[in-house]
Amino acid sequence: MSKAGHDRVADLLGKVADAASRVPREDRRNFLKRGLALAGAAVAGPAMAAGDESFLPPNIPPWTRSLGRGVVTVPYGMPSAHEADVIRRTVPWLTASNISSISFTPLPELFGIITPNGLVFERYHAGVPEIDPAEHRLMIHGMVDRPIVLTMEDLMRFPSVSVIRFIECPANGGMEWRGAQMEALQFTHGMLSCCEWTGVPLSVLLEEVGVKRGASWVLAEGADGAAMTRSIPMEKALDDSLVVYAQNGEALRPEQGYPVRLLNPGWEGNTSVKWLRRLEVGDQPWYQREETSKYTDLMPDGRARKFTFVQETNSVITFPCPERPFTTPGRYEIQGLAWSGRGRIRRVDVSLDGGVNWQEARLKGLVLPKALTRFSFMWDWDGSPALLQSRSMDETGYVQPTLTQLRAVRGVESIYHKNAIHTWRLDQTGGVTNVQID
Amino acid sequence: MYRSTRGLPVAVAAAAVLFIAGRFVPALAGDTGGAPEGPTIGPEVPAVEISLAYRPELDPGRAGYYGFGTTATPEMIAGWDIDVRPDGTGLPEGSGSVEEGEPLYEEQCAACHGFFGEGEGRWPKLAGGYGTLTEARPEKTIGSYWPYASTVWDYVHRAMPFFEPQSLTDDEVYAIVAYLLYLNDIVGDDFVLTRDNLAGIEMPHRDGFFVDPRPDVQNVACMKDCKDPDSIKITWDSTDLGVTPTEFFKGDEEEGETATAADPNLGLNVYQQACATCHKGGLAGAPIVGDRDQWRTRLAQGMDVLVEHAVNGYQGSAGYMPPKGGQIQLTDEEVAAAVRYMTASASE
Ligand code: HEC
Ligand code: HEC
Repeated sequence: MSKAGHDRVADLLGKVADAASRVPREDRRNFLKRGLALAGAAVAGPAMAAGDESFLPPNIPPWTRSLGRGVVTVPYGMPSAHEADVIRRTVPWLTASNISSISFTPLPELFGIITPNGLVFERYHAGVPEIDPAEHRLMIHGMVDRPIVLTMEDLMRFPSVSVIRFIECPANGGMEWRGAQMEALQFTHGMLSCCEWTGVPLSVLLEEVGVKRGASWVLAEGADGAAMTRSIPMEKALDDSLVVYAQNGEALRPEQGYPVRLLNPGWEGNTSVKWLRRLEVGDQPWYQREETSKYTDLMPDGRARKFTFVQETNSVITFPCPERPFTTPGRYEIQGLAWSGRGRIRRVDVSLDGGVNWQEARLKGLVLPKALTRFSFMWDWDGSPALLQSRSMDETGYVQPTLTQLRAVRGVESIYHKNAIHTWRLDQTGGVTNVQID
Repeated sequence: MYRSTRGLPVAVAAAAVLFIAGRFVPALAGDTGGAPEGPTIGPEVPAVEISLAYRPELDPGRAGYYGFGTTATPEMIAGWDIDVRPDGTGLPEGSGSVEEGEPLYEEQCAACHGFFGEGEGRWPKLAGGYGTLTEARPEKTIGSYWPYASTVWDYVHRAMPFFEPQSLTDDEVYAIVAYLLYLNDIVGDDFVLTRDNLAGIEMPHRDGFFVDPRPDVQNVACMKDCKDPDSIKITWDSTDLGVTPTEFFKGDEEEGETATAADPNLGLNVYQQACATCHKGGLAGAPIVGDRDQWRTRLAQGMDVLVEHAVNGYQGSAGYMPPKGGQIQLTDEEVAAAVRYMTASASE
């Protein structure tokens, strides 16, 4: 390139840099004026009364006439400031302290089946520990031939798998056993998330340490201040349990167990012990606090079910919902999520009349075992009130039950595993309310 | 699976999770009842996921196949293996009496769990509740619900007191557990709990658990005229109660009231985390919470001054109060909540 060419390029680059530094500081009004002047300003349509600062057609918005920020201004990308409302939320009165508490995933605002890492619901019993992965160890011992201690580096040398699986707290919806009280989808169903998880099959690790004859349970223990523990039957451990260190393509988030957690696909979230530090192989369950005092289901006769692991088929309509009502009558795509801890979703039906008549919905996108599955149902809403419901069926043929059916067997004090058909009341204005019907 | 792929490089075989998209599955949508068609999204193609990683049985011959990691020595295991089983396996040497447990419990536990295990505020109730399991709002306590005494020992040892887990000595745990059993009328006031007698304690609800029998309900996928439309009653409407935070989408409630600010235990939480180290026992000259004499003149300065001192720190005549107790990540509101908590118990 000639010297003159060089200079021209340098000059241009200088102008670009100049523009980039100058433009954002100008206020919108000046910008618009300049934009209009440049555009000739003669084409103002009906929406363009004098002084109107609309960025809508035919006006040209400032972001089209300026430069945005450059690369690595934000080295780790964040959502648009306009998405500031898409966040986890909690219901303060549910727990005594936010250190042992729960937050909910904003299901109404999500698309597809993957929950972004920053929106995965939180549940922990002693806050989020800050763990330096270099100082973290996973110990595997008990009824094994070769008790070992693994660094994160060691663990990551084992062959890995990546699977898309949901995690759901068994208390999801548990506030609604006695009656409807949560006024938002985020709170009725938001203890639910679905990610792509990467890690090592627990079976690979158990084979590596040489499990002794007669071993039938594995105790998983966290490194947090609760040292959370659960007994996992060997059958599950050898089936599809994973020791995972990544979610959705990046390292686990601290809230999700960084640097390593257990994942028991399809089972109550509490069994997927976070900040995993220890796996002990034994021949009996340990009857830890989280499998006696908690995570047992009290029945009306005063006895309680134990080891209620699986999250049975469930579904919910995510649009419309209280947070995202309909506006005017017209054509809508009713959307929702279905999931089953026993495998794939086979079918989802939708009712518009409180369960008198049902129609089959379409399953959209990936239909994976133990993963969120999206369904869709096109509807011409004429503005009449309606009672919207969805009902899922999984590949075992199990059909999502009604709340009346569940209550008949379990009463209303079992807290966990409420997977009943959910009802939204749609009123004439398009507003949606959480109700229960009989 | 694993066995049959023995010949393949293991990493490849075990790592293979394939999504086979493209297998055509007949459209799942059936009669859409005259509803409009949805957007065309191609043929319905539920993805088929094949995992080669899982296998039903372990091969003992393959122990140590990878050889990663180091041996867990007996000393390492002894330090971390803290679990206790119902048969007493895992209990350390030691003992503690109800009598020794009482002051320990009152000092370390009662602030949250109540002097009689009744539970302060929404902190868990630990005692009583007998006969309530069949009633509305059952009270599940150690006495009324827990099947094994081992769980109490294990849990108190691993997780309590809430803000200082694993700070109790083994003998202290024995004593506190003895006292908890006493509060639940399971042992007498002269009882001494030991490694040897713990497994023999019969908890009242011991036989109250049975293994998950689900699936326990059977719904059918009825499609038409499944019930009488006139019989449908709305039994519950969530808006009747008004107990959910809804301002984020309804815009109907006061702005600015954050979830944490609404937490009535915020002050106690922050105090326990950031202030108790000094203000519980009077370390470094800090005024002791609950000691009225030490707080009287301080209270007279007014709340604003106290909060200002707590937030920004100051050098007083009794000692140095560090800004926010040294935990600068706390918000001013959190510190103020802690000051309110600390002074409330002093001015009662
Ligand atoms: C600062 C408040 C606080 C203090 C002090 C405290 N605890 Fe707790 N305790 C809690 C909380 C919160 C939980 C529930 C933790 C969770 O959510 O997992 C709990 C749970 C328990 C439970 C299980 C209750 C159940 O129903 O499952 C026991 C037993 C217990 N604590 C005993 C003790 C003992 C013994 C001490 C004293 C050594 C103590 N706690 C001190 C707050 C406290
Ligand atoms: C490292 C020890 C230490 C910690 C931690 C600490 N304080 Fe203090 N604090 C002191 C001392 C010492 C004083 C007394 C200073 C004096 O008046 O001489 C004090 C005094 C106070 C006073 C009385 C102020 C006055 O004007 O009389 C308040 C209120 C207070 N602290 C609040 C807090 C709160 C809230 C926290 C936790 C967020 C906290 N402190 C943590 C050492 C501590």
